[in-house]
Amino acid sequence: MNAGVFGALERIRADRRRFGWADVALGLWIGVLTVLVVYGATTTTGFMTVSNLKAILTAAAFVGIIAVGLTVIVLSGNLFSLALGQTVAVTAMLFLYTLQFGLALAIVLTLLLGLVIGAVQGFAVGAWGANPIIITIGAAGLMEGVAVWLSHGQSIVPPASATSYQRLAEPLLGVPFPVYVFVALTIGLAVAMRRTRFGRGIYLLGENRVAARAAALPVTLLTTAAFALTSVFAAGAGVLIGATSQNASLLLTGSYTYDAIAAALVGGNAVTGGRGSVLRTAGGAVFIATISDMLLLRGYTTGGQILVRGIIVVVVVVLTNLRERSR
Amino acid sequence: MRRTRISTARIGGASRFVPFAILAVMIATMALLPVVTDYTVRTANVYDVFQNFSAYGLVALALGITIMAGEFDLSVSSMYLLGGMVAVLTGAGSPLVGILAALGTAVIVGCVQGGLIAYFRLNSMPVTLGGYLVVLGITYILGHSKSVMYEDYNVGLRLDQPIAQVFSIRSLISLGIFVLVAFVLRYLRVGRDVRAIGGDRRAARVAGVPVEHLLIGVFIVSALGAALAGALLSYSLATASPTNIGFDVLTFSATAALLGGVSLSGGRGSAVGIAAGVLSLSVLQEILAIVRSPDYVSSLITGGLLVLVTILWAPEISKWFRTTRVASAVESKRVQG
Repeated sequence: MNAGVFGALERIRADRRRFGWADVALGLWIGVLTVLVVYGATTTTGFMTVSNLKAILTAAAFVGIIAVGLTVIVLSGNLFSLALGQTVAVTAMLFLYTLQFGLALAIVLTLLLGLVIGAVQGFAVGAWGANPIIITIGAAGLMEGVAVWLSHGQSIVPPASATSYQRLAEPLLGVPFPVYVFVALTIGLAVAMRRTRFGRGIYLLGENRVAARAAALPVTLLTTAAFALTSVFAAGAGVLIGATSQNASLLLTGSYTYDAIAAALVGGNAVTGGRGSVLRTAGGAVFIATISDMLLLRGYTTGGQILVRGIIVVVVVVLTNLRERSR
Repeated sequence: MRRTRISTARIGGASRFVPFAILAVMIATMALLPVVTDYTVRTANVYDVFQNFSAYGLVALALGITIMAGEFDLSVSSMYLLGGMVAVLTGAGSPLVGILAALGTAVIVGCVQGGLIAYFRLNSMPVTLGGYLVVLGITYILGHSKSVMYEDYNVGLRLDQPIAQVFSIRSLISLGIFVLVAFVLRYLRVGRDVRAIGGDRRAARVAGVPVEHLLIGVFIVSALGAALAGALLSYSLATASPTNIGFDVLTFSATAALLGGVSLSGGRGSAVGIAAGVLSLSVLQEILAIVRSPDYVSSLITGGLLVLVTILWAPEISKWFRTTRVASAVESKRVQG
């Protein structure tokens, strides 16, 4: 108890010293990035075209849906999940496979699978205090194994008779359907996190686990729900990604895990939980998609894009942390 | 403080024998394989076990040391690839130069990550995740997004040439480093200090342990282990690639370290335990190879083991079972009364 009080005092004293320069540094960083993006936008040929902006939105939509869901885990103070890409791949495979029973049932079953996968991981973390990173690494390995086992290592294609799912990938009023889903889910989750008891519970849990327990919050249930929600969002992305690529295998895993985490971090959410928002993550996803698109148009290779993403993540993590601590 | 026994007191108890019990079970299974089934086990299989050991052992050791210090290094999986890439690209004339270049790169990566984590007091997960991306990006750039061949096949052949039937230069290097690290962690002050900053960092700081320097050192060692294992493997395969070669390194090394008794809450673990963990998984992989089981069985078992060990080692598991049992007992008593 004493240690806590001293820690708080120490932090307040440190605030006075650090306040200011952490904020200035963050402001400078945002300024630098804005200048770079504006400069890039005006000098990159083909960037400021309608078709390219649509391409950015589509790229942002898939990662964005996953990242927005992941925000719940981040806010709950359980760091992040390293099983997102595998969840996407496995749910996309189930979606294409179950299409033979009709579109509605396929979507319900897929989201249900996502719910179960997430809830199991969340329960281990919430009830037993298992390390979220390691649990999700293990879950990812398990999912890969089960996916190859059940699919005999072959990629899943939708039944020839089913065409209804193609609506999920087609443009609506000129904008790809996944973009609408991304926007709707972001707004819905943002409202839910701020206005519902569940949302406020997640924030409190991430801010101060001990206080959350003392306030008799159902910590196990909240943690389970946080992982389940994240996983359902990944499953939703799995439905859309499966419908778009019309072919699902573990190859879909791709870089979704790291892209979604990068979006949540770049958005400026505190990794220790409790501080941040769904909207920040959505902003991070759009920002990363914009940068990646610009680098691609300017002829940067995969390596260059990954490198730039990594540098942005590291800098944002350092600056967010300094700013959080100076509060 | 010099004489405190924080660490030795903590590793006491029956749980320190668990890694060796698991290893014994694995070895017994492999030995009994020809008795129970039609498959034969040869000396070559024992050689393979040690080759598996040298491919991933040092990464598990590296990751295990960061976990002991209460941190986690997600960048080991891309550092493994970068180590191989640098070694292949710079080692055209002499493989030793290539390995030194890989190790030099690792020192830089470890210094930057460790420095950020130590001086800004950052959580190591997001920092090493960014580091993972940066290191992976550099690997892609160096290899022009492609696999790079190493011209001198003889280097790999010499590294893998059987010694005393079951060893090779490569596996002896890994085993030698394990012995060295085990000695340092067990008997030198720095080993106790690493466990101290993992167990109770505040107390360690108060007691005068140079926390920042040790953390930087831990992340340098972590990068070095991953880079050396990657460099040796790349010479052995005569190729380096920016995408994963074979098994997922992070899953394997995390499972091996935890099987080896390294505690996720920090402060507990030993190099000998990690060696037992790596050997257990290496034997398991060899058993799966002998019975010709498909690849997915290996990821199923490794993933399952990782989840299982994480849950068993979880801090609140015993409390959970105790409270629910008590709760249900009270409940049933009330129903009866």
